[in-house]
Amino acid sequence: MTMQQAMDRTDESPRGQLAVSTTGLTKRFADRTVVDGLALAIPSGSVCGFVGPNGAGKTTTIRMLLGLVRPTSGSGTILGGSISEPASYLDKVGALIESPAFYPQLSGRDNLKALARLGQLPLAAVDPVLERSGLLARAGDKYRSYSLGMKQRLGIAAAMLASPRLLILDEPTNGLDPGGIVEMRGLIRSFAGDGITVLVSSHLISEIEQICDYVVMIRAGRLVHQGSVGELRAAQQPQFIVAAERDADLPLLTGLLQEAGCAVTPRPAETAVLVEAPGLGAADLNRLAASGGITLRQLTESTRSLERAFFALTGTASADVPAGQEMGAIR
Amino acid sequence: MTWAAFTSEWTKLRRPTLLLSTFLGLAFAASLFVVLMFSQATAHGGIVTLHQLAQPNGLVIGVARASMLLGVVAFGIAASQVASEYSLGTLRQLLVRQPRRAVLLAGKMLGTITFLVLALCFAAVIALIVAVVAAHSRGVPTSAWFTGTGLGDMFRELGDLALATIGYSILGMALGQFVRSAVFAVIVGFAWLIAVENIITRIVPSTEQWLPGASITAVASGGVEGVGYAHGMILGAVYVTVAIAAAMTVFLRSDVTA
Repeated sequence: MTMQQAMDRTDESPRGQLAVSTTGLTKRFADRTVVDGLALAIPSGSVCGFVGPNGAGKTTTIRMLLGLVRPTSGSGTILGGSISEPASYLDKVGALIESPAFYPQLSGRDNLKALARLGQLPLAAVDPVLERSGLLARAGDKYRSYSLGMKQRLGIAAAMLASPRLLILDEPTNGLDPGGIVEMRGLIRSFAGDGITVLVSSHLISEIEQICDYVVMIRAGRLVHQGSVGELRAAQQPQFIVAAERDADLPLLTGLLQEAGCAVTPRPAETAVLVEAPGLGAADLNRLAASGGITLRQLTESTRSLERAFFALTGTASADVPAGQEMGAIR
Repeated sequence: MTWAAFTSEWTKLRRPTLLLSTFLGLAFAASLFVVLMFSQATAHGGIVTLHQLAQPNGLVIGVARASMLLGVVAFGIAASQVASEYSLGTLRQLLVRQPRRAVLLAGKMLGTITFLVLALCFAAVIALIVAVVAAHSRGVPTSAWFTGTGLGDMFRELGDLALATIGYSILGMALGQFVRSAVFAVIVGFAWLIAVENIITRIVPSTEQWLPGASITAVASGGVEGVGYAHGMILGAVYVTVAIAAAMTVFLRSDVTA
């Protein structure tokens, strides 16, 4: 989807306008282009997943949106303010950038008070955000004594301090245990319920799939796709795992499927094949096998996932950034 | 807005470990100088003579002699306060809440300077009390200390010390801004002030009056041999102005990737 298409679509939506919009956003560090001509169009009120492999340029993009890194070229607006003037919109933005960073010797509450004072926010806002992030009982303890999950929740609390209209969370589930990940998902969903636009980045596509209704996919600093998660899933070609009752029939089955225009991929160490069947359903495949005298042992439609969509869009089978396009420590 | 950045910085600075270690550490260092000076003084020699200590400025001689040490400590604390924002990664949080970088840096500088000047005043008061006790124990008459001249000398010396502390603090913060590592900033700063300037001065004595550490030390001591008070004041102000301008320029232009 192009940026214009996204704008057209979102302009018709009840949400009305874009929370984040960029054109040609580019960042070069010396001779490395980390973000390359990014055109983002993130609708207001959406929970937007910002997906890409490690080194794709997600964190650098987020830093540009937050005014921490100056774009080499390009322009954009956030909540109506130009990204060249971060002060025009950052009072309405909350952010958790990479790992949470606070003063280890201060308590969680004092860390938030320091930020509240800096942002000229009422100190009375501190305890409610601590309560919402489930940290109120430990708010007086020093930050250094917090577990990783608690540190992450304090980061979320800090991001919520300004009652933001846009929340930018960079890899918020990084390092969390499964319980912490579930908690974080619940927290992020609750923000969406409050009408806050949430931009959440992750290199775990499956993670994004569970909480987001909109997705932006980037790879090697370039936009791969952006649009609603539902549309992306629906646009995928159906895929089936197919296995013949007798292993010896597999070559014949593969031939029949290929003759019918299917893409057939052998599954390693299995006697089944992965079949991409444009325009065909399970019944069609079953009929095709039966026409060759083959009885199927397995015929399963595989789940339509964002991960599959990402690989299909990038034409790769791996989430890794290709050699020579790695971004090093800067993501 | 600068006031908001200032109060935010103080929320961090007033944590008990930093507050107590700085205030008590400086007080201990200044008092130690006073005790050593009084204990080593004799009628005809030592660091100073007992006769010199009985003069109107005798009360503040010890504190003045400790100025270099106090300045170096202030320099290290100021450098680490700025550099640690990079090493802890807290700078990105601060810049999201206050994207006007000049305002943030000005507030942080004012916060750190007031913190260190207050610590210095506390140390000076303790050291002066120690000086009175030490004078009594060594039989040094103190009547001249509390005359108009003596009290004038005391306030002038404390003012000079405060000015020197501001100078050291600003140079420290600027260095912390450039190197972005608390440990490296402290090592480089200490090495320059304690060793490098001494070596340069010994090799080429005429350079003493142009070095930043020497000029600020001259201000702290009311002028020293080789660097007059007025010269130290002007040169120190130039160094401080250049340091602020350079730190501000770097901070305004640099990408925050920490």
